[in-house]
Amino acid sequence: MQKAPPAREGSVSGKPRLKIHNIIKSLKNDGSLYLLALPGIIVLIMFAYLPMSGLILVFKNYNFNDGIFGSPWAGFSNFEFFFSSMDDALRATRNTVMLNVLYMITGTFFSVAIAIILNELRSKWFIKVTQSIMFFPYFISWIIIGAILFSLLDYDKGLMNQLLTAFGITQIDWYSSPWLFVIVLVLANIWKATGYGAIIYYAVLQGVDTSYYEAARIDGASRWQTITKITLPLLIPSIILMTLLSIGGMLKGDLSMIMGVTFLNPLLLPTTDIIDVYVYRTAIRSGEFGFASAITLYQSIFGLVLVLVANKLAGWYDKDSKLF
Amino acid sequence: MPITENKGLLVFFYVIIALFSAVCLIPFILAVSGSLSTESRIAAEGYSFWPRGFTLETYQFLFGSKAKEIIQAYSVSVIVTVLGTVSAVLVTTAYAYVISVKSFRYRNVLSFFAYFTMLFSGGTLPWFLLSTKYYHLSDTLAGLFVPYLLSVFLMFLMTNYFRSIPHEIVESAQIDGAGHMRIFISIMLPLGRVGLVTISLFYALQFWNDFFLPLMLVSDQGLYTIQFLMYNMMANIQFLASGNAAQIGGIPVAPPLETAKMAMTCLTVLPIAILYPFLQRFFVKGIVVGSVKG
Repeated sequence: MQKAPPAREGSVSGKPRLKIHNIIKSLKNDGSLYLLALPGIIVLIMFAYLPMSGLILVFKNYNFNDGIFGSPWAGFSNFEFFFSSMDDALRATRNTVMLNVLYMITGTFFSVAIAIILNELRSKWFIKVTQSIMFFPYFISWIIIGAILFSLLDYDKGLMNQLLTAFGITQIDWYSSPWLFVIVLVLANIWKATGYGAIIYYAVLQGVDTSYYEAARIDGASRWQTITKITLPLLIPSIILMTLLSIGGMLKGDLSMIMGVTFLNPLLLPTTDIIDVYVYRTAIRSGEFGFASAITLYQSIFGLVLVLVANKLAGWYDKDSKLF
Repeated sequence: MPITENKGLLVFFYVIIALFSAVCLIPFILAVSGSLSTESRIAAEGYSFWPRGFTLETYQFLFGSKAKEIIQAYSVSVIVTVLGTVSAVLVTTAYAYVISVKSFRYRNVLSFFAYFTMLFSGGTLPWFLLSTKYYHLSDTLAGLFVPYLLSVFLMFLMTNYFRSIPHEIVESAQIDGAGHMRIFISIMLPLGRVGLVTISLFYALQFWNDFFLPLMLVSDQGLYTIQFLMYNMMANIQFLASGNAAQIGGIPVAPPLETAKMAMTCLTVLPIAILYPFLQRFFVKGIVVGSVKG
């Protein structure tokens, strides 16, 4: 972006007036701009930039009285601890990436499928009503979803096991089967996120020139052919773009989701102990900061690398979609 | 323009969408049904879609012996949502206005200053230590909304709305001698009201549903939000079982633990369900605008 001349207001009416006059006027004008931006700047510094500098914690032997900046230096001992507990770090990383990849694949599939199908339907009220219903779960917190899931999955009273018994299948103890619970998490995510994703893809399809479809109809294309040969290819750029951009968030986990749905059930931790959960459990609840700080630094740095890679890929795929 | 062939496929499509919509609704039916069932029959026969032994006992129990906690948590949630939304919208729109002023020389700097926080984050741990030890936000009302006063995503969304306002209007106001403060308050905010409503709703939803801030910063039960109360009920049955035993018709009975969870679910979802039909379109618009250029 080109730099705007400092005192553009002064020259609105034509020839620039006295320079000094312009500077004073611009300062007077810009002064209120700084004032307007100030609260936002303070919030960003307090809750985003200072925590970044708080990452020096990893070189500290943290104790509460001295705080982040006053605690004694610990050199690289936190990293030694990190490598000695590599299993925990690897498990947390694997779980985070695994769940995110599964969410991404299934979420995209369902959102795209629903959007394509909605695009075929003609009944306006049907589209409106069903779209509203499918979007509603987006508004529900994970805590609530967790409570409802409990009534579905509880071993004794859950609806799921009643159904299994009715079909003569042995009951499943969902809350002690970490790998089966991955399926639960993925389905819960589909349930919550599909309506949201479908809105985005459906909006893309609404913006498509209808002449493609008219031409296809004249050529005698079947409904299935129009979907696979026109609709889907039209969505591919958005799908690729959204997927690439989601790479940037691969190491971010949703603490509220895991807490709300599993209540930190220790039996489920083999698959639900994502990085954010790990940090919460060890540092915030148990007060062991050394290792958690190392994994936090690692999450931040690799997170940045992933964002940069995702952005590079997106830019390489389509120049306009580069974020920066 | 009906396509005569492949009617079957179209019918199939209608069925799929109807089914998926049903799946989205069914869990709520389960919750309502659970909340209206009797505890003994849930314990014996499990949850079902139709209330087992239709009764309002659970709600009577909640509004009887747990009324204080529930009303308190509800009030905290409402206060946090209102206070948080109003202040977040002020902070956000002001910042968005500044970076939408084309003549401001540092607008790109400020824009990147906000954007960078989406790329790189210090993570939860330093955030937690700063918030508790340095900002003293533990067990304060401020702790439940101040950290969320600027959502960078919503700020850029608002910037898009501001940029769609014709520049001539701003220019003519400037010629008339209006300063930025004046332009922001009496021109941009009224003209950007669709954006304003949209980001307000996103903020309100975030504050109402938030679980992270109470989890990190609250231990005092007087500051429990409805979501946090709900979590504690789920994770710790003791909350419901403790204290005075339930009195129904003067006879003490065991508190309805299972049905109470479902009743609390209904009470927490209720405000959203009531407002949803009126507010939904703003969210849709916001998502579409945000995804086209976010």
